[in-house]
Amino acid sequence: MNVEKIKAAHKLLAEFKYTPGKLDKGYANKSLYINVSENKIEAKPVTEMMKEKFTGGRGFGLWYLWNAVTPETKWNDPENEIIISPGPVGGITQYPGAGKSLVVSLSPLTGSVMDSNVGGHFGPLLKFSGWDALELQGKAEKDVVIFIDGNAGIIRIEEAPEEALDSHLLVEQLYEIYADTPEDKRNISVVSTGAAAEHILYGMLNFSLYDTRRKAVRLKQAGRGGIGTVLRDKKVKAIVVKFKGVKGNLNNPADFAALAKTGIKMHKEIHAGDDKQCQMRVRGTTYLVKIMNDYDLLPVCNFKYGSHPDGNKIAAPKWIENFNIGKADGCWYGCTLSCSKVICDYELKTGPYKGQKVVTDAPEYETIAGVGSNCGIFDPQFIIEANFYCDTYGVDTISFGTTTAFLMECYENGIINRQITGGLDLRFGNQDAAMELLHQMARGEGFGRIAGLGVRKCKELFVREYGAGAAFLNDIGMEVKGLEYAEYVSKESLVQQGGFGMANKGPQHDEAWLIFMDMVNNQLPTFENKAEALHYFPMFRTWLGLVGLCKLPWNDIVPENNAQTDEPAKIPEHVQNYVDIFNAVTGKNIDKKEMILQSERVYNFQKVFNIKMGFGTREHDKIPYRSVGPVTVEEYESRQDRYDSQLKELLGMETEGKSTEEKLKALREYREAQYEKLVDAVYERRGWTPNGIPKLETLQKLGIDLPEVVEVVQKSL
Amino acid sequence: MIKVNGRNFEWEKNLTVTKLLQKKNYTFPSIVVQINGKFIPQAQYETALINDGDDVKVIHLTSGG
Amino acid sequence: MKKLVTKEDSCTACGTCELVCSKTYFKEENREKACIRIETANGKSKITTCTQCGECIDLCPAEAIYRDKNGVVRIKKNLCAGCFACVGFCPEAAMFHHSDYIEPYKCIACGLCAKECPSGAISIEE
Repeated sequence: MNVEKIKAAHKLLAEFKYTPGKLDKGYANKSLYINVSENKIEAKPVTEMMKEKFTGGRGFGLWYLWNAVTPETKWNDPENEIIISPGPVGGITQYPGAGKSLVVSLSPLTGSVMDSNVGGHFGPLLKFSGWDALELQGKAEKDVVIFIDGNAGIIRIEEAPEEALDSHLLVEQLYEIYADTPEDKRNISVVSTGAAAEHILYGMLNFSLYDTRRKAVRLKQAGRGGIGTVLRDKKVKAIVVKFKGVKGNLNNPADFAALAKTGIKMHKEIHAGDDKQCQMRVRGTTYLVKIMNDYDLLPVCNFKYGSHPDGNKIAAPKWIENFNIGKADGCWYGCTLSCSKVICDYELKTGPYKGQKVVTDAPEYETIAGVGSNCGIFDPQFIIEANFYCDTYGVDTISFGTTTAFLMECYENGIINRQITGGLDLRFGNQDAAMELLHQMARGEGFGRIAGLGVRKCKELFVREYGAGAAFLNDIGMEVKGLEYAEYVSKESLVQQGGFGMANKGPQHDEAWLIFMDMVNNQLPTFENKAEALHYFPMFRTWLGLVGLCKLPWNDIVPENNAQTDEPAKIPEHVQNYVDIFNAVTGKNIDKKEMILQSERVYNFQKVFNIKMGFGTREHDKIPYRSVGPVTVEEYESRQDRYDSQLKELLGMETEGKSTEEKLKALREYREAQYEKLVDAVYERRGWTPNGIPKLETLQKLGIDLPEVVEVVQKSL
Repeated sequence: MIKVNGRNFEWEKNLTVTKLLQKKNYTFPSIVVQINGKFIPQAQYETALINDGDDVKVIHLTSGG
Repeated sequence: MKKLVTKEDSCTACGTCELVCSKTYFKEENREKACIRIETANGKSKITTCTQCGECIDLCPAEAIYRDKNGVVRIKKNLCAGCFACVGFCPEAAMFHHSDYIEPYKCIACGLCAKECPSGAISIEE
């Protein structure tokens, strides 16, 4: 790589100088605004109102975006923004999982507001550089790189024509350019995407960290909703932050002793418990594959089935064989859960980098299930390769997996054919075809461009261009609001159907994963129970994204006595830890109730934001029947005993002598009605109208009744 | 017939907790077992017998994913 | 490998070592700030200090912990990010911290405590 040549081609477009300051109890109290249309860089105050109502992280992102866009703004208008914010707790090093950033933007997939959660070092380094959030607006004329030097207090917009687009190359080039010495690389983090983000709607963002032991750049993903596509549309190649001097007290916490005590308690808990529990330190999230397969929850062939005899071929033992397991594989300092696994010396077998050996991030559960089992593929080598290329091309593995699975089912049903796919034989299990589709996305060619539109737009296109039946496509197309489903089969858990369907941004499980509580444990028998769970858990999990925390240390490790607590599913001790570290950093005095209230404010605000953009009502919480029950005869018959006995027990139906079609119909009517009842119950619990609009009294009670918010609601009530 | 998490399940002779977990394919590592409200420690899964008519709870401790 | 070895049977739990250590390390006689800890239970002493096993070296996310040429495990303070993972994961519970400081601390086998120990319960082994 000729770094000197690349660097020499940089042209300074704008420069801004500031005095780096100390953080105050978790906040920098200013945010950085950059407009690449006008080459404008400025500091904005973070107000007390913002901290009070929105807390930080996703809350700040939503507030800035709300003020930047109108109901007419589209994702590719210059007014659209990308906001990155780590939250007040973000950047502490003592408690596991505290390096998260939340990214907010208008989504190319949904047209509405999107939030995506990501690790890596960028968020903390941004904050230590003096900024609670980075607000990026406008569209550059030519490709640019934004550089933030948090020690010197310099921000630059530089024209950057020569760098590669693909992240694994681009990010390495940028480390070479901006690091003063090889040792300086650890102080840098880069936000980037890849070549495919120019051609598809689910382009994602990579957030890097430098792996000092393996001497390699590592990438974590803000995967959901196409924010990488927005970055490329803005002609921003990358955002680079450099900050030297990470220490344990840079947040200037109100009570360092409490922070240290809570963090060490957690390290000890992981040290003692992880080997006996999930073995995250060794296996990462791959441990989930076997469990999901055993409980009929692992998506197979576009969510038709929940398990497959070959599931064991992509389960944890196969991954461990491929991993280079380190003892410090966290994506931020102090994350002893250490799930961010690595594969070294992987020789690429396809595509433009064929034959090269790379250090690559290991696939996580969602990727294994998405590009693997859901596409009928059970080959770890393929999954590693697809994961690498998704990462470097800037492709969300979840949307890619769910879309490809959908296309494969369309192909097998003759809705599309070889002529339409440009020769790709998109049968389930055809990994060569799936890989070629991915390479086409990066080249902006062929059927890859169509696949890159995502499930919703593919459905519309197939109906319009190829005369496909809309009803079947709507049944099997696994998307809600335009976002592709995350990789869990929700058919036997009504609560999880709701968790996906009513999630603000679309069907991602980061709001609620309640399958065991509901389906297996049968702990949520009434609609009231179900609604309460679909209130508490989404609010609790939203909170993690307000303050800058990862979900995994909440419940992928539990205290030894957790089972004996009154509400084991909530992991009460860990929730108390979160209250304690929030108070230790900010000096506030919240409790478990106030924590949920902080989330409810932001959650309801996001809901109203959806309404402002023309979405957010009940019709947008409709879900595809594939996520509710068996669509086809083959699906029904594959689990006939289960469905027959449900028809007998729940509906008193005599199933003997009935055709599968009759039974399918009866089951469907029942399940669809159940979903509507669930929606009624959840809306009521959340203080919304039956059409899904937050009531004025709800907004008032929560203190999020800002005039502009009330105005949107009043118009739609 | 026994109840497992409130749902009917076929009983058989010499049904231990281990056998029940196998039959249900309950492989999740973090579970709590109760028979008629009595907590059964993991060390007794092999030996603890389930009688006809028992009310068994196998609570999976996660709301994760 | 240089390390502090202990003979718990000989220890009288007088606490001299703790005070010598904290005075050496932090210029303050405070057993909470010592790299060696003496506890007694049922008339027996328990001595907690680093065995120089090095478990913490690979665990440190900042690569701030290393083994020096004498085999002693040491912390580079300037690189330490203060996460205290090493404190939570030390098999001997011999990596210490005190909330006055943002880095952990540990025994570096300097031997000053052994010199002052009246009962010969601790000594330096080369």
